[in-house]
Amino acid sequence: MTIEGLLIILLKIIGAVIIAFLGVILGLFYKGIDRKLAAKMQARVGPPIRQPFMDFFKLMIKENIVPENAVPWIFNGVPVMTLVATITILFYLPIGNISPLLSGYGDIVLIIYLLTLPAIGMVVGGFASGSPYANVGAQREMVMMMSYELPLVTTVIAIGWKLSQVYPQLNVFSLAVINAHPIWGLVGPLGFVGALLLLITLAIVTPGELSKIPFDVPEAETELAGGLLVEYSGRNLALFSLADAVKTIVMVSLTVALFFPYNIAHLFDLSGIFAIGIDSLFFLVKLLLIMFVEVTFIRVAAARLKIDQVSYAYWVPLSIIGLLGLSLIVLDTIMI
Amino acid sequence: MLGLLETGSGFWSAIIWVVVVLVISSIVIYIRNKGEESYKKNTEQDKPFISGNPELSKEGSHIAASHIYWGFTEALKDYYNPLVKIHTGNINDYSGWIIIITIIILILVGVSG
Repeated sequence: MTIEGLLIILLKIIGAVIIAFLGVILGLFYKGIDRKLAAKMQARVGPPIRQPFMDFFKLMIKENIVPENAVPWIFNGVPVMTLVATITILFYLPIGNISPLLSGYGDIVLIIYLLTLPAIGMVVGGFASGSPYANVGAQREMVMMMSYELPLVTTVIAIGWKLSQVYPQLNVFSLAVINAHPIWGLVGPLGFVGALLLLITLAIVTPGELSKIPFDVPEAETELAGGLLVEYSGRNLALFSLADAVKTIVMVSLTVALFFPYNIAHLFDLSGIFAIGIDSLFFLVKLLLIMFVEVTFIRVAAARLKIDQVSYAYWVPLSIIGLLGLSLIVLDTIMI
Repeated sequence: MLGLLETGSGFWSAIIWVVVVLVISSIVIYIRNKGEESYKKNTEQDKPFISGNPELSKEGSHIAASHIYWGFTEALKDYYNPLVKIHTGNINDYSGWIIIITIIILILVGVSG
């Protein structure tokens, strides 16, 4: 390997550490805002915004119980794997007008694969717990994974296909390319409706990916007492809570990159560090608004579905909506 | 470029991914090691949680693997039930299906040229 190659790796490592740190802090902060907003909508006072930070530190000093039926090395290893896999996705996502840290080293297809790793981690952890509740939770998580993949992939494929028609010379699955060419500007009226349907599809896949109400069947506190997390405590549970916070940022950032990659620095004739600053702030505002719609609002407005209802919802109505969106975009392209 | 694999429509570098995974793993493991690691072994604390019920036997409290896809098969039963009926176990029926599917494929290939 050349010196240049080593230098690139060193810079990427420094960048990765900074982004991982910021991703975790932002995830916990937004989790606090989410809980506060949900409480306000339910006419409760709610916890302070710093509550997720306090929960994390409290969990770190609590006993880390490994049940006698568990497979200890898997049981202890899975929280680490889940958090690491979730954090790595952040490196492939753009932030404001800053290209992804690993831009050129992985595309959106890789992100879709990486998104399955935290879910697989939860499943393995559930099975390794040796508890019937965790076992049922893990089985439900598997069924969920099998259900929301088709609508999620439909959304990505539709945008990639449209970009390939307009810019055949570009790497259409690259997040940097998708981020630079918003779908809304590439389509006519029919395609606009199609893109809107795809946005709705992704907005409903997001709470499923995050196991939030109405798709929180793998955890289902009232029936499974926490499901696949029922036997987890202490520092293992603390790592799962971090992974949950970071995954929220990942999924919401994915929505921003696919549908709302707009920046505002050019409106104020800003450049350089000021442009990066204002676009990053705008990115944070977009994250907050989209998180409110995709996570907070949906979980306050809806009740938990049963697992067969979840599977049906993703496989039938939502897949049809996604495929309809894709068809409209294809039709729009053919007719132009 | 650093082990970049290009498939024609997609690309990724496994080397870079493995490097960042190793770096982030070491940080996460360091943070994990800062947490409390003890608990009271061989007490009530490490018994499996079954809503306060005693664990009658290890085998008896397991969930059978046949339940694994229940939600999935229940949601798509309109699709699976006819498929189950088709599986008669009779080799003549299966041979018939192979012939029918082959004919359909040949017609499709012939029509599409």
